[in-house]
Amino acid sequence: MVLEATMICIDNSEWMRNGDYAPSRFQAQSDAVNLICGAKTQSNPENTVGVLTMAGKGVRVLVTPTSDLGKILACMHGLEIGGEMNLAAGIQVAQLALKHRQNKKQQQRIIVFAGSPIKHEKKLLEMIGKKLKKNSVALDIVNFGEEDEGKTEKLEALLAAVNNNDTSHIVHVPSGPSALSDVLISTPIFTGDGEGGSGFAAAAAAAAAGGLSGFEFGVDPNLDPELALALRVSMEEERARQEAAAKKAAEEAAKQEKGEGEPSGTQEATMTERANGATPEADNKTSDLTDDENALLQQALAMSMDDPAPSHELRDADMSDATTDDPELALALQLSVQDSTKDSSSQSDMSKLLADQSFVSSILASLPGVDPNDQSVKDLLASMQSQTEPQQKDDDKEPKEEEEKQ
Amino acid sequence: MSGESASAIQRSQVDLVDFIDWSGVECLNQSTSHSLPNALKQGYRDDDGLNLESDADEQLLIYLPFTQVIKLHSIVIKGPEEEGPKTLKLYSNKEHMGFGNVNDFPPSDTAVLSPDNLQGKPVVLKYVKFQNVRSLTIFIEDNQSGSDITKVQKIGLLGTTVETTDMKGLKKIEDHQH
Repeated sequence: MVLEATMICIDNSEWMRNGDYAPSRFQAQSDAVNLICGAKTQSNPENTVGVLTMAGKGVRVLVTPTSDLGKILACMHGLEIGGEMNLAAGIQVAQLALKHRQNKKQQQRIIVFAGSPIKHEKKLLEMIGKKLKKNSVALDIVNFGEEDEGKTEKLEALLAAVNNNDTSHIVHVPSGPSALSDVLISTPIFTGDGEGGSGFAAAAAAAAAGGLSGFEFGVDPNLDPELALALRVSMEEERARQEAAAKKAAEEAAKQEKGEGEPSGTQEATMTERANGATPEADNKTSDLTDDENALLQQALAMSMDDPAPSHELRDADMSDATTDDPELALALQLSVQDSTKDSSSQSDMSKLLADQSFVSSILASLPGVDPNDQSVKDLLASMQSQTEPQQKDDDKEPKEEEEKQ
Repeated sequence: MSGESASAIQRSQVDLVDFIDWSGVECLNQSTSHSLPNALKQGYRDDDGLNLESDADEQLLIYLPFTQVIKLHSIVIKGPEEEGPKTLKLYSNKEHMGFGNVNDFPPSDTAVLSPDNLQGKPVVLKYVKFQNVRSLTIFIEDNQSGSDITKVQKIGLLGTTVETTDMKGLKKIEDHQH
């Protein structure tokens, strides 16, 4: 994640028309440039990249070092091929552009694409290299295209003059089936001296090599993490919903029998599903009590309601064993069941039902997940039945309940 | 004159190495194994075996920002007889100079080091030019023997701080204290 300002020197000379790199040398070069820009800006958001062309009418800076990737990609459009490459001038202009970078803390780096023959003398290149080293500018050379005698030698000499502690690299890319960008991805030019951009590089390499099949949901988590996350979450939710539906069917059967044999495991699973936000596993209701908030509200309501005091023992006897202790859930389920038994969801009816302890106990009995002997459940029921005020209190509470409901 | 300056050193000058802002220190054309801290930092600089050496050629460009404004009175440069620096150009308050633009502005002072200086005798500078120094750039242009590598054993800066005249000790003085 080294903070760097990079200038990319593009060769847009006549030699770039050649098609030995698919589709053309210039296209391959452009793709490589795009990839490099992406890698640099990703490895450190404060990195800046600039682009200049070395051939044509003369060395021309297309964009000064900027961290705006869009600007860089835009300037690559409409470039014309022609002329001869002037390597020395290109490097010197790049050095000047880097000297005037805005953030002086950035390390300076020049990446040169040398595709055409080099007409400069080795001595001159060595002097340029020395000057770069003196000003602590690193240089990466991509040697592709023309395989001229002496070209490799000159570039190696240039690299030797610049290289300070292995910060500068040279890559020779022969023409062949693999694209220029693919070859570059595995080089230190991309991976930033072994660290930093390697995450991006690895992902890009995987995408390039094996298509998108390697990734879950066909989306590269590196390229689009939000989409990948969204897909994963919706897949899980769908799975949860399906499980809930299955459990619902199973539970319906159990409830109708008012049996106690329902495996508590199922109930727990359904309760987990419920926690995930799936519809409650209670049976065929039309109620709108579908989440914990409502359950808690109902619990509050229930506690404020009055009940005649039936016997505890009846309830104890009726309830089945369970392994969970979720009184709110139990309450919600009770209320939901009560709702379904009548058409309206008026509070007074519900409260009356709740007041009917025997009904409550029978409901609780049908819930395999509720342990009647559990202290919290007992406390809840005790609180419900502790109210000895008359039913009229309900009416007073109703407007308040309506408020709470909202 | 030298007697006066000697007593001035004893009287009021402080070694300014404590006021160097290390996060902004830069040295161009230094060799990686023989780098600037060898010549600047306490402990290293007293060891004559540890040098600052130049890399590609004999010139060195050292940029030293300070944590507060100082007045620079004199500098001490110690180096070997042959490869020690000869011509020094000092620029005050010029940031991020490069070898390309050292010749663009006149230096605040120029010093030609004699072998005495290389033994540790301080070079007195034009004090009036260094009254308000936030950063100092030292450009070592060449060395005594004209060899390809310049070696510096110690760089010492003598002067006073502006914000406060607290002469007690070499403690770094925090901002906004009396």
